[in-house]
Amino acid sequence: MVGLSAGEKNFLQGGIDQDLRSDGRNRNTHRPISVETGVIPQANGSARVRMGATEVIASVKAELGRPAALQPDKGKVAIFVDCSPVANPVFEGRGGEELSLELSVALQQCLLGGKSGAGAGIDLSSLMVVEGKLCWDLYIDGLVVSSDGNLLDALGASIMAALSNTGIPRVQVAAAASGDEEPEVDISDEEYLQFDTSGVPVIVTLTKVGRHYIVDATSEEESQMTSAVSISINRKGHICGLTKRGSSGLDSSIISDMISVAQHISVQLINKLDSEISAAEADE
Amino acid sequence: MGSSGKPPSTYTPAPTRGSRPKKPVFTDSDVDWERPDGRGFHECRPALFKTGLVKAAAGSAYAELGNTKVIVSVFGPRESKKAMLYSDVGRLNCNVSYTTFATPIRGQGASDHKEFSSMLHKALEGAVMLETFPKSTVDVFALVMESGGSDLPAVISCASVALADAGIMMYDLVAGVSVSCLGTNLVIDPVSEEESFQDGSLMVTLMPSRYEVTQLTVTGEWSASKVNEGMQLCLDACSKLGEVLRSCLKVPASD
Repeated sequence: MVGLSAGEKNFLQGGIDQDLRSDGRNRNTHRPISVETGVIPQANGSARVRMGATEVIASVKAELGRPAALQPDKGKVAIFVDCSPVANPVFEGRGGEELSLELSVALQQCLLGGKSGAGAGIDLSSLMVVEGKLCWDLYIDGLVVSSDGNLLDALGASIMAALSNTGIPRVQVAAAASGDEEPEVDISDEEYLQFDTSGVPVIVTLTKVGRHYIVDATSEEESQMTSAVSISINRKGHICGLTKRGSSGLDSSIISDMISVAQHISVQLINKLDSEISAAEADE
Repeated sequence: MGSSGKPPSTYTPAPTRGSRPKKPVFTDSDVDWERPDGRGFHECRPALFKTGLVKAAAGSAYAELGNTKVIVSVFGPRESKKAMLYSDVGRLNCNVSYTTFATPIRGQGASDHKEFSSMLHKALEGAVMLETFPKSTVDVFALVMESGGSDLPAVISCASVALADAGIMMYDLVAGVSVSCLGTNLVIDPVSEEESFQDGSLMVTLMPSRYEVTQLTVTGEWSASKVNEGMQLCLDACSKLGEVLRSCLKVPASD
């Protein structure tokens, strides 16, 4: 909880009204973003993303598992978010549970698409090894290390970076097993398949403070918000997910407006992330 | 929606047999498929709402949309637990659970559905005048007795009626409606079969007289124009559902 005095609130609101925020940004600019990949050696892919003072880590682990009975031709992906008390003492014990759940659900909605698997940012059929018997289970874990607002966007970006850093071992299936027998597999230590991230969307959260909405809000700004809409958008400009937060209602025309603004911002964000990710990969 | 002037006092649902024949899988090519219950793509199921079923609760409501049956009880306002920090606005404690027999396979729905609980909270918090009960908590408990598709919108609409029945101050009722995207078609108020094949879904909860959206969720891949189309469909249906909710509150609680 951020405690702001009446004067500070006024200053913050006034700045947003005049399109000059307390840290010198415009309403539609992000804080500087930095990406570092391969930060967790035990994981198949990992990344750390900083957006101003917000810092998150995402790791991707791949394990061989059995596909779900209803979708035998698809792998499985699970997304979890942990809000560490390191970031904020209120996350201690069960304090962070609610926020963690909210963030995980929002990320699942944005990245995994509809129930039929259509429109998923992560191509589940690429995780297939032997149909109906063997598939990769991807475990995506996000960790909030430092929290200064806009956690969802930062987590979305870190997952995108972690996935582009992910190598899935090539699997050799020895002799097609018949019937119910488990197929014998040989997991290669050297050959890795690069994970395709062209369909992974970015998340843009527009936070409404007063009459205007701003992008990439700090926690001070978030404390003054009336509502926030998180929109995930892929490279094609299509919307992959949308959720609303905050207490006040919104007019439907404002929502349409927000969607077009978010589409515009997402193009810049994707370009920025792409260059940061490739720079990080080159550094590694 | 009900065609007759006054809402029917009883409503007999179509009997559901244990072994329903499996409906064919929808694909992009067959555009002229029929919906499992023979409705038009943009037609909602008849909605029945009834208040005051649970005597022990401060307010309660029962909703029936086709095979979806939910009951919501509202308790309180009561004093917030000591462990909670001081708050000059009230708290809304929402919980959504499924009965073990709600789904075709026993116990498939969670007995404590955390995701729906948080969605219910987000949809309602904008409509309830929380400042009217500082330091206190209102409990909203929803139970899905039979899951027949569009469970969450039904729970949200039903909960807003239950809150009104409990006399909790609200800006407006909240009506929820969802649409499913199947191939290139948008179908409103999907049933379970349609939901399990859907490519995407969109849910809108609306305060009808203020015409403000309290919650909007989209899953699956949508173009901006399609989102707008789906949103308009939902907004229209929400306004109409709002009338039904309103008329149900006007009916004096009998028996």
